[in-house]
Amino acid sequence: MSLKSQYSELKAAFAAPDLPKCGRLLTQLKLGLIQAGLLFPQGELNPDDLVVAREILEIGAFWSIRTQDVPSFDRYFSQLQAFYTDYASLPPSPREYAIRGLHLIRLLTQNRIADFHTALESLPAAAVESPYIAHPVNLERWLMEGSYAKVWGARAEAPAAEYGYFVDSLMGTIRNEIASCEETAYESLPLKDAATLLFFTSQRELLVFAEQRGWEVNLTLGTITFAKKGEETMDIPKAKIIAASLLYARELEQIV
Amino acid sequence: MPDVEMKPADNKDDKKKKDEKKEEKKEKKEEPPKPPPTPVQEIKYNVVLIERAVATMEPRFAHRALRTLTALRRRLDDVVLRNAVNEVFVKDTPTKQSLLSWLPDAPPAPATEAMEVDSASAAAPAPKPPAGPEPVPEVDMYLRLLLMHYFEASPSTHTKAIDLAHQTVEKMQALNRRSMDPIAAKVWYALERAYELGSELAEARPLFLAAQRTASLRHDHETQASLINRLLRSYLQYSLYDQADKLVSKTTFPASAGNPQFARYHYYLGRIKVVQLNYSAAHANLQQAIRRAPAATLAPGFYQAVHKLFVVVELLMGDIPDRGLFRHPVLEKALTPYFDIVKAVRTGSLSQFQSTLARHAAHFEADRTFTLIVRLRQNVIKTGIRRLSLSYSRISLRDICVKLHLDSEEDAEYIVGKAIRDGVIDGRIVHEKGWMECGGQKGGYGPEVGEVFERRIGYCLELHNQSVKAMRYPLNAHRKELAAAEGAREREKELAKEIQDGDHDDEDIGGEF
Repeated sequence: MSLKSQYSELKAAFAAPDLPKCGRLLTQLKLGLIQAGLLFPQGELNPDDLVVAREILEIGAFWSIRTQDVPSFDRYFSQLQAFYTDYASLPPSPREYAIRGLHLIRLLTQNRIADFHTALESLPAAAVESPYIAHPVNLERWLMEGSYAKVWGARAEAPAAEYGYFVDSLMGTIRNEIASCEETAYESLPLKDAATLLFFTSQRELLVFAEQRGWEVNLTLGTITFAKKGEETMDIPKAKIIAASLLYARELEQIV
Repeated sequence: MPDVEMKPADNKDDKKKKDEKKEEKKEKKEEPPKPPPTPVQEIKYNVVLIERAVATMEPRFAHRALRTLTALRRRLDDVVLRNAVNEVFVKDTPTKQSLLSWLPDAPPAPATEAMEVDSASAAAPAPKPPAGPEPVPEVDMYLRLLLMHYFEASPSTHTKAIDLAHQTVEKMQALNRRSMDPIAAKVWYALERAYELGSELAEARPLFLAAQRTASLRHDHETQASLINRLLRSYLQYSLYDQADKLVSKTTFPASAGNPQFARYHYYLGRIKVVQLNYSAAHANLQQAIRRAPAATLAPGFYQAVHKLFVVVELLMGDIPDRGLFRHPVLEKALTPYFDIVKAVRTGSLSQFQSTLARHAAHFEADRTFTLIVRLRQNVIKTGIRRLSLSYSRISLRDICVKLHLDSEEDAEYIVGKAIRDGVIDGRIVHEKGWMECGGQKGGYGPEVGEVFERRIGYCLELHNQSVKAMRYPLNAHRKELAAAEGAREREKELAKEIQDGDHDDEDIGGEF
């Protein structure tokens, strides 16, 4: 059966790692899986086939991350979910938590915290012990607390190589978070300290970043001044109050 | 220790709460049967009610019959059910046979049983004798419902309950009678319960989904409400929050559903919302669930479960729950671990929070609130910072770090920065000096006060409108009033005439009115 030989070829190519070849094989394999009715499994199927299908999809998910194709990862992940939840009787996959962890990180980098928690909640309690899951969980906690230094420090501790691919976008998210905190919390900052706070190694990077955010940089004094946001204008929401009063009047009229 | 005691209440909560609420109402309404009738009598009385419901097309009679279900359920046994079936079904019909076939043979009756079979086969060709008192199919369903509850009471017979439930549901759907809706809703509940006891709830889901489709096509609101709750429960049981959320967004919960169904629905919604970090919506839902739930003493399990979640949600929103809540006799024991957490959050002590969390971890996991409580960590820190900002006008980052048990000064700077940005405190960081300067407190009056006020008024008005809508007026009642007014006028005329005639004392006039 060609599906089988392609499958072993894929495994070899993935271990090699030969990414372009993996991509080609995955396309063929997915066609094969559709023909065998395994891509979107329904009803009773041979468990061994399902395990193989699951592994192909898992490799596909890793492959998408390695080729930096995040939408493709999302597709693989949603296909895999059917295997993870509906066919829970299959022997558990060693890669399941790694993939779920990647999914969590991905939600985190997009700041989809609500989805992150929904995904986390659907995991069994024991899953949190797995390093793959614990990593994104810790990241989220530190992000929410504001311990950005810890997030920065955790870059190197990624439990799988694939996690590294999300680090850059995660750092971008963090920098923006820090920057927005700085804007409100400080009046001015020395350039050097700002660079440390934002984890920039060179002043040039900092200057580019400052320009993007529209900060005032005073190079002679070596400080950044944050434009003070206008005093909160306390508008009285007239229209709203009038509408509410009218509503009360009407309702009271009905009662009396 | 509290764990062990909590469990039974928790399991019972759902099934108890709905019925017991109704029961309580019933007791207020119908004073006459105060000395408890025998179960058989009660069943017969309910059968009469159901028949009246079918005859008058008034579902409230059926509701009244179903209200006794919980109390009745505990008193069922083979003999009671057998007698009930025999007394309700005077004639032998296939319906009666199929009902009796579920019950084990009663010892003294084998002879009559055989005779009954004979006569049944004779009666079988005419399934509905024209003038015979063959009860309406609703009664058959009601008895089946009782049977199911009886089977579910003991673990050894729960597979029987599943079989019976399947058969009943099939029959019910084939009959497709609107007057059966209130009973059908309960039958679905019994079916769920049977599956849940066998811990194979997931397998019943396709069944529920199909039935939900049918019910919404038939505008069968009661069954719809019941089935939506069944499905939500089954999703949440397996932590499938995504699916549950989609179900909620794709369905409309019928507004005519009963309070118990609404209370559950709000509870499930609250659980979904809190997982999605939508705390204010979750808070609103849980509050509704509490308000609509039966009295605490009647359904303690539900009351406790809702309050547990409610306390956590309040904490997550940054509020501290009322102290009085933890002194409530029903809640006191169940909420002890939560009370400890509240204390830790209130003082803003991270170390106390961690130790409390570790101490009660098993308990929270059993309540499925553990992940939510872990989220509280950041609230603890925020509370801590707020306390510091209130008590110091200037404090060094190092001191913040020490007081809040943070890991490093660097962290403290970021955390304080975030707190300032999130509006938790009003202040500035002076980086060169390494301290935080705290601004004055914000005034307590702003648009948000108006909003809260508006929300409360809105709630009161809606409550009023709902209660007006919920009032029931007896048919043709105004005629009686008219007649009474007519009579009064009549009397008045007579009186006037008598006074005119002068043969009436003043005392009598007083008496007349």
